[in-house]
Amino acid sequence: MSTPGVKLTMDGAELEVAPGTTLLEAARAAGLWIPTLCFDDRLAPFGACRICLVGVEGAKGPVASCTTEARAGMVVETQHALSRRIARNVVELVLSELPVPPAPHTELAQVAQRLGLDPTAGPAAARWAGVTHEPQLDHRHPYLALQHELCISCGRCVRACDEVQGAFALTAVGRGFHANIAAGLGAGFAESSCVSCGACADTCPTDAISERLLFDLAAAPDHRGAAR
Amino acid sequence: MTADARFDVTTTTTCGYCGVGCRLEAHAVGDHIVAVSPAADGPANKGHTCVKGRFAHQFTRSRDRLTAPLVRENGELRLASWDEALDRITFDLTRIKAEHGPDAIAGLASARATNEDGWAMQRVFRAAIGTNNIDNCSRVCHSPTSYGLRKSVGLSGCSGSFDDIEQSEVLIVIGANPTQAHPVVGARMKQAALNGTKIITVDPRRTELADVGALHCSLRPGTNAAFLNGIAHVLIRDGLVDEAFVRDRVEGFTALADLVQFVTPEVVEEITGVPAADLVQVAHLWGEARTGSIAWGLGVTEQRYGSECVQMICNLALLTGKIGRPGCTLMPLRGQNNVQGVSDIGALPDCYSTYRPVGDESVATLFEATWGVPLRRERGLSLPEMLDAAIAGKLKALWICGYDIGQSDPDTAKVEAALANLELLIVQDIFENETSREAHVMLPAASFLEKTGTFTNAERRIQLVHAAAAPPGAAKTDLEIFQLVSARLGHELPWSGPEDVMLEIGALTPKFAGVTYERIGRGGLQWPVAPDGTDSPRLYEQSFALPGGKAQLAAIPYKPPGDEASERYPLILVTGRRLEHYNVGTMTRRTANLELLPGEWLEIHPDDATAHGVADGQQVEVESRNGRIQVTARLTERIAPGHVFTAFHFPETRTNLLIGQSADINTSCPEYKVVAVSVTPARVGSGAARTHAVVA
Repeated sequence: MSTPGVKLTMDGAELEVAPGTTLLEAARAAGLWIPTLCFDDRLAPFGACRICLVGVEGAKGPVASCTTEARAGMVVETQHALSRRIARNVVELVLSELPVPPAPHTELAQVAQRLGLDPTAGPAAARWAGVTHEPQLDHRHPYLALQHELCISCGRCVRACDEVQGAFALTAVGRGFHANIAAGLGAGFAESSCVSCGACADTCPTDAISERLLFDLAAAPDHRGAAR
Repeated sequence: MTADARFDVTTTTTCGYCGVGCRLEAHAVGDHIVAVSPAADGPANKGHTCVKGRFAHQFTRSRDRLTAPLVRENGELRLASWDEALDRITFDLTRIKAEHGPDAIAGLASARATNEDGWAMQRVFRAAIGTNNIDNCSRVCHSPTSYGLRKSVGLSGCSGSFDDIEQSEVLIVIGANPTQAHPVVGARMKQAALNGTKIITVDPRRTELADVGALHCSLRPGTNAAFLNGIAHVLIRDGLVDEAFVRDRVEGFTALADLVQFVTPEVVEEITGVPAADLVQVAHLWGEARTGSIAWGLGVTEQRYGSECVQMICNLALLTGKIGRPGCTLMPLRGQNNVQGVSDIGALPDCYSTYRPVGDESVATLFEATWGVPLRRERGLSLPEMLDAAIAGKLKALWICGYDIGQSDPDTAKVEAALANLELLIVQDIFENETSREAHVMLPAASFLEKTGTFTNAERRIQLVHAAAAPPGAAKTDLEIFQLVSARLGHELPWSGPEDVMLEIGALTPKFAGVTYERIGRGGLQWPVAPDGTDSPRLYEQSFALPGGKAQLAAIPYKPPGDEASERYPLILVTGRRLEHYNVGTMTRRTANLELLPGEWLEIHPDDATAHGVADGQQVEVESRNGRIQVTARLTERIAPGHVFTAFHFPETRTNLLIGQSADINTSCPEYKVVAVSVTPARVGSGAARTHAVVA
């Protein structure tokens, strides 16, 4: 009773995928890399970051692969030059707003690296040097640390809280440069409906939400000595 | 997983808290676990975990960890070498066995330890000591589930998988609060509800799932049977029975129909307090849905007729053909990480692995041939019988592995009296606890993050556990300890490690025949596992595991619970669990979870609080026929009037002093869920105590 697959061409190869498969899923299944930032397997596609753009023959411009379903006969180019240039510029802009370079283990640093950017360069070296976010650390929860200056408004934490746990403890607040996240409408995790599952820290691509113990380890001069 | 330079080693293992069985990535720096994250491919958790699994690992590094054996001398426990501790155990066990026979010795296996640990312990008792006096803590939680499922459908375990949650159109959650006690399954259920699954919650408390459910039925504690039979009544009355399924695959319909004929919704309302119209609605939601599952917890089992209620739950699935296909599962929510497994492998007084009776000659001879010793055919003592025998002076030695009966078992004063009457109490654990106050020898064990083996989760899934750190100091794994003692008792356990143990389990257990660590891999195996390694995500697709292949409907009437409200004790106490802490709290109270939830409280409805002169935040005295405790009152409308609720995570609260001897009629599982109490403002100078004198 299997439904007929959808046949498309991706980077010159013929693929057949189940109906409803997104271009990103098709690419991953075929072992092709497309950069992402607001995407998480555990969450519904969001289509916000514009990093996962690909070229589709006949389309007016690059399309977001995470939200675009494969259609029969599509010809897709994952290494599409314009798409990648846009992705690189977006990541470069994101990095330019951070007061410090993202830690090497973060998804943001790894995506930047893979797009040919230097994630360690810091805001001063950015092409669009200017105002960066003021450090704002919230240490009130015993396990979770919030570094608001590292938030890139990808919405992953808010969606993980809603779609994985169902606690609805986090909200997106502010607009433009001031966009950020708030736990319990700013009252902090402890005063919110947070159940301390840690899904937000797990999905965060920048460590804007991280674990306090890891945060403290990283801050210690010899982090190995700090592990008591 | 990409290598993360922040960590030296990352080990994939299985969570040692509840029975969900989340797969975890444990990250270590040096000798210490510094972080735990969910394994993306965990079959039960799918990249998620909870405040316990993810964060509550600091206990492994606690200063309180037992790092060397302790022996009692002149009334005090003092540090000892392994040789000294083991010599003392061997000497005393040998002496007691010579003087009083092997049945003067008993053991309690741990539902927190691995299958391999449990197997080793029951072999020590059966083969090295020569008694079937071995039990585990499923006695006080889901033994009624095991009994009921075996009677109704055949096998002691979930009939499907957690993956059936999302495929269920209707999900009945009865006597369970999964978002607190099984948080990852709770989250999956909540998400299912948000995506269209109609959840029906049946509980004296308005739980978090009730807020997203289709219907909440707040019934009186102890009246589950009336509720379940009432649904069966409406299913039959309103033509919602799957007649073909009942005809072809089920026995006992006529008897059930006759029995529930007069259990009308109005009768049920009278008994349970659930409006008749709501009961009818539940039956129709359930009966008209294409798919549906039922999840239950200790609110079903820890009652006088808990095992019968499990059979009545099975009735609802069988009447409507909602079993053995996707989205149709009987789902007991097992409490501890390996309470399913430690029972499966036969740490039970009446059964070898996979519930084969010790009196079964063919099974016993198979074990005798492999172990090379004669084995007993008569069943041993269950946990409550062990305590009775200790008080009577017949049981002289008790060896308890990873189980704090001093805090978690009912009637604390009786437990203490039993422990105090032993000549030898061996406590093998990771911390001192309420039980070890009376210990003669304490053996320091490894925690779940420091050992290798397997756990079996609530969906019968055997999963690998790998050591992510070394045990502290001189602590050893439970398996190593059992091997050392067994050898000294003259019965070598011939294994070079846990993997060898699993091979022995497979060789002696047909339903585990194809289990190997390699096949378990990252995805686990759901037993029964065929010799070629094929496992069983879904049971009963074609037939039931009972003679003739047919399931058995149970025609059992409602009977009142063992305790009821009176003028002296006007409120019904229900005990349970809270999200931040785990069971007796020895682990979670040694983490920052204590900051999140620093103490115990009593939930009481504002109307009852007014009636009994209790204010929010006030210290109150809770008294039952059995004992009294003090605890802080908190007013909440989540609990129905007439009922109060508290947990037992804090030893200082001593909640289980209140619980009496009422227990499930078939399995002796204590009735923790129905205790008549009075609640009054606390008097100065009145502490926790037993209400009347200890029988012993």
